[in-house]
Amino acid sequence: MQFEVIAKCHTTKARASRMTLAHGVTMLPTFMPVATQAAIKGLTPQQVELLGVTLILNNTYHLNLRPGLKVLNEAGGAHRFQGWHRNLLTDSGGFQLVSLSKFTTITEEGALFASPFTGEPTMLTPEESISIQHTIGADIIMQLDDVVSSLTTGPRVGEAMERSVRWLDRCIKQHEQSGKKNTQNLFAIVQGGLDPVLRDRCLDEMIARRDGVAGYAIGGLSGGEEKDTFWRIIKQCADKLPEERPRYSMGIGFAEDLLVCVALGVDMADCVFPTRTARFGVALTHQGPLNLKLSKHAQDFRPIDEACPCPTCSEKTSRAMLHHIVTHETVAAHALTIHNIVFQAQVMGRARSAIIAGTFPDYLRSFFSDYFGDTGYPEWCVNALRSVGVDLLENNPANVVPGKGAKWEYAKSP
Amino acid sequence: MASPSPGIRFSLIAPSTNNKFSPRLGSLLLLRDRAQNSLQISIPTPGILTTTSRGVIPHLSRDHQNLTSAIKWVHIPFESFLEHNPPVPTIQKGTEKHPMHRFLGFLPSKHVLSMSIRDPDDAREMPTNGNDHVSANCLRGVRKVSPTDWRSYTLACKPDLVVALSDTPYINPPYSQKRLTKSIERSAAWLATLLRPPPDPSDTNPAVLVHMAGLASIPARRAFAESLLEQLHDAEAEAVKPHKCLDAGVTGYTFDLVPIRLALGSNSSPPPTSNSTPSTSNSNQTRDSSIHTLIQTSLYPLPHDKLRLVNSTRSPHEVLDLISTIGIDLFDAGWAQRAAGVGVALDFRFPVRRDPRIGVVDGLGQVNSNPKKLDLGHNLYSLQYAFDFSELGDTFCGSSQAQPHNGKDVCLCGACSPVRPPEMECIVHDTINLATSMTTSSSTPSPSPVQYEPPFTRAYIHHLLHTHEMSAHALLVMHNLTVVEAFFEGIREVLRGSGHAVLPDVGHDSTEGTERKYDWTHEVNLFNAAYDGSLRVVDDAMEMWKDVDLARGKGRLGREKEREKEKQEGDNEDEV
Repeated sequence: MQFEVIAKCHTTKARASRMTLAHGVTMLPTFMPVATQAAIKGLTPQQVELLGVTLILNNTYHLNLRPGLKVLNEAGGAHRFQGWHRNLLTDSGGFQLVSLSKFTTITEEGALFASPFTGEPTMLTPEESISIQHTIGADIIMQLDDVVSSLTTGPRVGEAMERSVRWLDRCIKQHEQSGKKNTQNLFAIVQGGLDPVLRDRCLDEMIARRDGVAGYAIGGLSGGEEKDTFWRIIKQCADKLPEERPRYSMGIGFAEDLLVCVALGVDMADCVFPTRTARFGVALTHQGPLNLKLSKHAQDFRPIDEACPCPTCSEKTSRAMLHHIVTHETVAAHALTIHNIVFQAQVMGRARSAIIAGTFPDYLRSFFSDYFGDTGYPEWCVNALRSVGVDLLENNPANVVPGKGAKWEYAKSP
Repeated sequence: MASPSPGIRFSLIAPSTNNKFSPRLGSLLLLRDRAQNSLQISIPTPGILTTTSRGVIPHLSRDHQNLTSAIKWVHIPFESFLEHNPPVPTIQKGTEKHPMHRFLGFLPSKHVLSMSIRDPDDAREMPTNGNDHVSANCLRGVRKVSPTDWRSYTLACKPDLVVALSDTPYINPPYSQKRLTKSIERSAAWLATLLRPPPDPSDTNPAVLVHMAGLASIPARRAFAESLLEQLHDAEAEAVKPHKCLDAGVTGYTFDLVPIRLALGSNSSPPPTSNSTPSTSNSNQTRDSSIHTLIQTSLYPLPHDKLRLVNSTRSPHEVLDLISTIGIDLFDAGWAQRAAGVGVALDFRFPVRRDPRIGVVDGLGQVNSNPKKLDLGHNLYSLQYAFDFSELGDTFCGSSQAQPHNGKDVCLCGACSPVRPPEMECIVHDTINLATSMTTSSSTPSPSPVQYEPPFTRAYIHHLLHTHEMSAHALLVMHNLTVVEAFFEGIREVLRGSGHAVLPDVGHDSTEGTERKYDWTHEVNLFNAAYDGSLRVVDDAMEMWKDVDLARGKGRLGREKEREKEKQEGDNEDEV
């Protein structure tokens, strides 16, 4: 991997960088759409590439079950299997083990879980996770970590953090021996729950292993914790992580979360939210989400966003037409998935441009004003951005709302 | 002479023989306006139309729809838009030339759009039609549509063709003579309403197709066809001026097989009490030949050079049969689109390739006594494809593989010949990429030639199907429509080469000069002998599609493993 910071924001911690991997260049900060089972839902790889996406994510847990490693091996890796020529990242499978399987037990050896095929006990060790990811062949692979829900408290959090560090050592060792270091890059995952002390210890340990890792992820967040805690942990990690390594915040997808993370120094993020919400009929826009199932859109002949360069909007597909087919025809899911992926890419692309032009704080102000001007700014965003020197409320009498403050389009109450 | 007036013209390339019902080659030409270099779309016949659901081709995003060249004529059942009153596509503002194209995302330069009120493929029971309305179906229930409503919808939507309302009962066959009489009278009156000149004289009516009424009754069919030719008088004549008879305003005739099959089905069991349908009471007649008789009865009195369209054929065998015995020009591709929906990749061609593997020997062209006919496609749910990294077809290959690849035809669909996205066309989201690409590729923005990617593999689509990924169906719909269009290209080639068209072709899709000689009947026989016409492969796929669909949710992998085991054990027992 070549990683080069090409510009830094003069006020915030945001930075723009160029990351060169075996399958080309990806400019950071970027959002990575999720192709869980080797396809972005409903689209072909050619369509995704035309959207200007250069890095997507596959899920190790899912690909390992289906199509299985034998198929991937014969196909010559996941890139060839799905016909994707750009960069690819795979997670380690640890998160899905915990989120999808009730019976998972973590031991020092690895994660013991019931095989979804047969119910038999199966062990996923750090070594095995890495070797599976070698077979898949993604450009960026993730260490196996001991994941606990971000709402967990008590000694389990510390234990999981310590174990994640030990497992990182085993992952590094496995990766070093594989001879794949030139084409695949291992990322560590910082754990430690919501406890700043544990996070700090984890950071120290993992930074000490920097020669064995190409980048760092911040894990264990986006699990329902308070937003005010969320941004503080992100900030703590981003501040401490080495300058010359990309930083990846896992499971982040709301536009305001993305921009706060970028301002705090994060380079990459992924989430199923934009593609999943598309299938439920929601289009993301710079003025907030549009729920196209609502009858208020039934006779609206405007496109989702006049200025959007996505194929759905540039072909002037009307909200009325989308309303007619959402949740009835897969075509509606395709149209909105295409749009939402482009929306995410625009949010991040504009961030890159602004960082380089030295106008990132202005971009933050205009984004929040467009997006939240009518409903009110989430308080946590205001606080988070103040911590890096941008005051959204300066000369701006905008409303501030407590809590998550995420925006949604509801039906009018009768 | 003035330039030809815009609109739709159907012409037979060669009014081949004296026989009204022999196979024929034709061409549908659509001229968008009067200008010299006006856009024109030409659809050679025999050909296909693509079916839609809620106004869209199922599974195809607009870009996929536009890159699939097989999609030329698209048919829109309008009834789903009745959920709102007035229907949303009819209230678009602005002086749009092609409001329905625009609303649905079809290209006036590329797509011929036709509209009917109902989905001709829908066999559900419906409340009876009235003297002045058709009962149509939408998500919010049944809606009554009057002939005047229909006329105003079509004037507002401006499709290229419109099917007149037809009084087709969808409840309780058999139908009495009284009911059939009412049906043909209403259908004729409703056609007359649609033929009235538009209120604004600068407007033009869309071309009109008429569904041939009369269901399974020969006398009723004959009566309806003849009523189209009756010279109109007085007020009736005044209303549809300048047409002298209803038929004069009609571009073509449509036949919906679904209601005919329903009517025949009911007639074939206990003999009907009504004595008005002598033809169908003959129990020796197979259903197919009575369908032929019924369609021929309708066409017999009418001019032979108008377009003939049949909806809801179920296999290529049926298509060949209807071309052979009736000379039908246009068919819907619904069966192939539905096959894609259940995971079948079609793989067949016409004329049949001389290939020992498929049991066809050249020269005498004899068919081997091949015990097992070839399937028309591959059920990609089948486990046999899990490790099959070849392209979708045995008879087709992708453009990237095309050095005459064991004589395979090239399939240009988005699944077999995906086009590599040119870097220039990928959306740029920031100002950085631009700067770097300008420095690296300095001043040579040469238009790069189209680059093809390797075909998507059976193993990949197998995986997508089993993981319930929608991309599978997008790829398969593009492929199947392309295979069906190639099948029709083959049909036209054989018809040209078998003396069914003596005139030289006007120049679309034909190979110049050396035309091969074919014998149509012989080729059809070969095809029927080589390929399984019962479409077992689609039924199998449908079962497995249901399995995957029903097993979804937590614990799915376990449930599927169980079923697989059960099936294998079942198969083993069968063998014993």
